[in-house]
Amino acid sequence: MAGGPHDKETVKYVGDSRVRATRERLLPKPYSEYPGKTEPFFPNFLLKEWMAAVVFLIGFMVLVVSHPAPLESHAADPNDTSYIPLPDWYFLFLYQLLKKIPGDMIVLGTVVIPGFFSLLFLLAPWLDRSPERRPWKRPIATTIMLFVIASIVYLTYEAVAQHKMQLEESASAAEQAPAPPPAPAPTESAAFDPEQAYMQSCSACHGQDLKGTPAAPSLIGLSLSTDEVVDIMTNGIGVMPAGRFQGTDEQKKQLAEWVLSHQ
Amino acid sequence: MSDHTLDHGGAKWRENAGRQENVNEITRRQFLTYTLMGTGGFMVSTLLVPSVRYAVDPLLKKGEEEPYVPVADVSEIGSEPKRFEFTLKVDDAWVKNQQTTYSAWVYKQGSDFVALSPVCKHLGCTVSWNTSPQHPEMFYCPCHGGLYTKDGINVPGTPPRAPLDMYDYKVENGKLYLGPLIQRT
Amino acid sequence: MRKMYDWLDERLDLSPIWRDIADHEVPEHVNPAHHFSAFVYCFGGLTFFTVVIQILSGMFLVMYYTPDIVNAFNSVKYLQTEVAFGYIVRGMHHWGASVVIVMLFLHTLRVFFTGSYKKPREMNWVVGVLLFATILGLGFTGYLLPWDNKAYFATKVGLEIAETVPLVGPYIKTFLAGGDIVGASTLTRFFAIHVFFLPGILLALLAAHFILIRRQGISGPL
Repeated sequence: MAGGPHDKETVKYVGDSRVRATRERLLPKPYSEYPGKTEPFFPNFLLKEWMAAVVFLIGFMVLVVSHPAPLESHAADPNDTSYIPLPDWYFLFLYQLLKKIPGDMIVLGTVVIPGFFSLLFLLAPWLDRSPERRPWKRPIATTIMLFVIASIVYLTYEAVAQHKMQLEESASAAEQAPAPPPAPAPTESAAFDPEQAYMQSCSACHGQDLKGTPAAPSLIGLSLSTDEVVDIMTNGIGVMPAGRFQGTDEQKKQLAEWVLSHQ
Repeated sequence: MSDHTLDHGGAKWRENAGRQENVNEITRRQFLTYTLMGTGGFMVSTLLVPSVRYAVDPLLKKGEEEPYVPVADVSEIGSEPKRFEFTLKVDDAWVKNQQTTYSAWVYKQGSDFVALSPVCKHLGCTVSWNTSPQHPEMFYCPCHGGLYTKDGINVPGTPPRAPLDMYDYKVENGKLYLGPLIQRT
Repeated sequence: MRKMYDWLDERLDLSPIWRDIADHEVPEHVNPAHHFSAFVYCFGGLTFFTVVIQILSGMFLVMYYTPDIVNAFNSVKYLQTEVAFGYIVRGMHHWGASVVIVMLFLHTLRVFFTGSYKKPREMNWVVGVLLFATILGLGFTGYLLPWDNKAYFATKVGLEIAETVPLVGPYIKTFLAGGDIVGASTLTRFFAIHVFFLPGILLALLAAHFILIRRQGISGPL
């Protein structure tokens, strides 16, 4: 009943489905159908896009292979008072913005300013409604965007610079604190006493009992290999300066083993 | 006349469109498609080769050589199978030195010792000695009724298809040390 | 092959779907082969490509990772140092997270400065902004997962920031942290959000993004 005579049209379907049984063959359209220099997505344009993707991928994999993802040497330690936290780089501008805002107006930095710009961003199509698309013909939108980009770049840069300064300060503070005399390189390795070396070179920051001080973390129960400890001794890590302990490689190894024996 | 021929040719061209249509165009399209497949294959393999190697790493890791561990005093072992437990420190991925308990059915046969793994060769349940009233003096697996004789040989007609594994052993200072498992057929 | 395809095609009518994707025309002004400056139109595609890398490497990472405060760090360290190519898989995910933000940023700037968000493409801009937020959320939740000091303290700061939101702030913080402190429940929560909730949202938004582009076509030349 429904549809009446239309039901009796000659369209045939596959079984009781809505897929038509007779269909025209779909062949790729000849290129002449495309006006101007347009081209079909597959395979012509996709190939060009993939070429770009290959170049990108090679660069990306070179980065990945040459720079292993950083991982700190031990798990999170909530009691580590000397750690200077830093968010991932793309949140730095927000983090820096907060530093500029007095404590009692923090809402300004956490909600009002970011929220305002996010809203501008989200509603851009309704704020900038002229049909004009060229950026130099819509100065307001372009200026605001350039201002935002410049602020983000500046704040990020400032955050990185300040963080670097903080690290240096705390490193030199740790160095000056009780002014440990630089360990004289022991002349005879046979007479090398790791405990004595520790007391001379390390205890000022890491504490006489290895339990750490506000300047440096505890060395008890490290999950590091001897070589990793030697590397940290030689090259420093975080705020720890390089070369606090001057000794031969063998002595460094002994000292590292001694430190690691405190589990 | 010439009009007619042209028309005819045109119709024929359309008829064959699927197969022959403009030979150059097809090969160009195919060429592009093959290049595309090559490029795609390169990208996919660049991403998947390290990832798959990473995923199958456990298959390719060499098992560590199992050490010999003291299990019992020789004097404790008689000719009747007795269950002894022993612990091994095992590295389980990032959980290092995990204490894991194993056990063995041990008895004396002449001057030799026999130490059998209690793991049923059917589906890995634990067998025990002489616990089934119907089958005395046998290793019995409670899961599917597998039976093994005293020397660990599976009784034909029961589910297991191989004898129980045997521990390699050595005796030092009056103690029995068990080592790696030996599979038998 | 041919026969299998025909069998499926008869039932499912597949041809029009992929024909539509394959044969749609791509205008000259976005084709870097014609104008080199058109490479700015690649950033969207590269963002998507990096997202694919992230999904792939993420799936592989979860094979070894444990979201638990005792084991999280050790499992990451294990897969990074002891599993073959673990450092590459983790490296892809770690660097990919930064690259995806860079690409996304460049893509957004391209769309903004070519005014491509204007009528009739307003809705796709909104979807794009939501995608941006989702990806930032993925970055924030993923940062905690290795459970080292950097992860822990950055998250702590992030949650303190959430707390300053008027009225609902403390609730948001407790909800995200799963308790009063950043700890075991925070880690499992962030893991669930990072691995299930946000990727689900991401895929749905991506589908909408692509369907809209396909429907409206790419914006014309300036």
